[in-house]
Amino acid sequence: MTIPAVILFFIFHTFPLLQGIFYSFTNWRGYGDWDFIGLSNYVNVFKDMRALNAYGFTFQFAIVSTVLVNIFSLLIALGLNANIKFQKTLRAVYFLPNILSILIVGFIFQFIFTIFLPQFSDALGIQALATNILGSPDYAWVGVVIMAVWQATAFNTILYLAGLQTVPEDVYEAAAIDGASPWKRFWKITFPLIAPFFTINMVLALKTFLMVFDHIIALTGGGPGYATESISVLIYRGGFEGGQFGYQSANAVIYFIVIVALSIIQLRFLQKREVQQ
Amino acid sequence: MRLISSLVVSLTTAALLVGCSDISSPKENMVELELFSNKAENIATYESMIERFEEQHPNIRINLYAPPDAETLLRTRLVKNDMPDMLAIAGNALYRELVSVDMLVNYEGEPMLDPIQPAYLQTISDLEGSEKKGIHGVPFAANANTMIYNKTKLKELGEDVPKTWDEFIQLLQKAKAVGEIPIYFTFQDSWTTMPAWNSLAGNLQPKQFADKKTNKEVTFQGTHQEVAEKLLQLKDYGHDRMFGIGYNDGNREFSQGKGVFYSQGNWAIPELLKLNPELDLGVFAMPVTNDPTKNKLVSGIDVLFATLKESKHPEEAKQFISFMMEEQQQQQYMEEQSAFSVRKDVISDDPIMEGIQDNFTEGKISSFPDHFYPAGMGAQNMIQEFLYQGNISKLLKDLDREWDQIQLRY
Repeated sequence: MTIPAVILFFIFHTFPLLQGIFYSFTNWRGYGDWDFIGLSNYVNVFKDMRALNAYGFTFQFAIVSTVLVNIFSLLIALGLNANIKFQKTLRAVYFLPNILSILIVGFIFQFIFTIFLPQFSDALGIQALATNILGSPDYAWVGVVIMAVWQATAFNTILYLAGLQTVPEDVYEAAAIDGASPWKRFWKITFPLIAPFFTINMVLALKTFLMVFDHIIALTGGGPGYATESISVLIYRGGFEGGQFGYQSANAVIYFIVIVALSIIQLRFLQKREVQQ
Repeated sequence: MRLISSLVVSLTTAALLVGCSDISSPKENMVELELFSNKAENIATYESMIERFEEQHPNIRINLYAPPDAETLLRTRLVKNDMPDMLAIAGNALYRELVSVDMLVNYEGEPMLDPIQPAYLQTISDLEGSEKKGIHGVPFAANANTMIYNKTKLKELGEDVPKTWDEFIQLLQKAKAVGEIPIYFTFQDSWTTMPAWNSLAGNLQPKQFADKKTNKEVTFQGTHQEVAEKLLQLKDYGHDRMFGIGYNDGNREFSQGKGVFYSQGNWAIPELLKLNPELDLGVFAMPVTNDPTKNKLVSGIDVLFATLKESKHPEEAKQFISFMMEEQQQQQYMEEQSAFSVRKDVISDDPIMEGIQDNFTEGKISSFPDHFYPAGMGAQNMIQEFLYQGNISKLLKDLDREWDQIQLRY
């Protein structure tokens, strides 16, 4: 069984990756003739203002979203884990955003930002929300963050919920007898015990947000200007619409290395502070 | 065994008999051609023409294929090396690329090019660039980059269509003074900034700009100052929410009577009339200079036909293209699609288009500047950002830098 698995894995996973690396050393447009051009694609990526701009936006977006998603999903998970009515129904409701397609959610949010919010704020006489934030190069990223966090919180909540199930009930009983306050109980018991889940949530969220694509296509298309162009969008745009297959392959290879490196650093750093059980 | 062989024999004879008696040309001589089109709006029109063509040429079958997001699909098919026989695409950067990698058949000197307005043949040869010789795409239908206006509102203002830039600006001021939105801009979609940019640059930029720019003879910074200034000046006559409203919402608002002018090409007119059939519309070419004789209409090739060199049936493809260029087909297409013919003798009589009729008859036409920009440069995004920030020198510098950098990416 192993050999067919290895072959399948190689054909569908490793081979395309190697192909991408191979093309990054050529000037291939995706069609026609091509030549080897050595490392010049890589050199040009570093000189490319549009790529640097995309890196800037993507990191800003990913860090803010990762932090917000983890805060919200931990809060929701704590709530859903408590003794409340309709616990199972609520868990299902809170998971709903994860099932919806990001593109559809994007178009709904686009409607909210473009038509609903401005009209609503007009009616209330609030000037701050009267213009569509997706149309402003300075604030469009906030719109993308709002939608991304809304959608991604569901999945991370499930992971935190799983983590909270692993905390044994008797430690809380012991703490209650010692007279620990709810805040102390969370900070000294719950949080350290679910630390491995915190680590995995941080790493997964950051990785997903660094590869953000659908959100942007549905909400802003990368605009206004290049204000919300993420690296995945840039690679797609340049590669398919601009015929820069080789060049964007180099961009993708660099990005792959960046993401792997970041994930490893993050894992190392976060695992150190986990409780050794 | 004997049963099977006798069955086979009788079936073959039957097939042969049917072949002889029924259809004049047997199946083996049937030529199938795939026609790839990038427009979804004209499928029904094409189909009725193809039907007529197949009646006249019973041995040729045309398979029309017009998928959504056709340009991206065509690029993926390029990668897979699975190209159709014929293309019906716009005269834009994609066409320029296909010519530059030498994939299309040369039609220079063919009689079917004779009735075409010289301006469009010039556009085609300009698109192909200075390195290539020939006409690799046969222009079929044209579009116009216009200023659409609400006739009722202009009458209320007591004004006529402006002939010079100063007149136009005065008119915009007057409209603003009486509380109208002078131009209904929709800048949330970056491409909607291009009709105005193209009108300005199409009239003001030096000839052969793209080739000279690639050869580093000219720069945006040296030649596009006035274009950027005038575009910025127009923005003053927009409305509060122009950056938060996209093309579709803009069509709806303009059709409901918001705004006197709408900076869009003729392609927006069917959409506007669908939303409000009562709307009284007119179009004109935006006057860019103060010399009315110098103001040209920016018009491009909306559809051109091209044949792939790899196609096994170039002769039949040529027959089809010549057929499409005939007057009858041209008339039908222009009527059904409210497009403009590239033939000198076919003139649109649509009353909405009256304002630009003279441009076509007199050949006062110039081509879309952005069709010559390198693919993937994303000029529209830079222009959108510029309109928001208003920094002329940054825009021109960015355009220059991106253009030069893109040359390094192939």
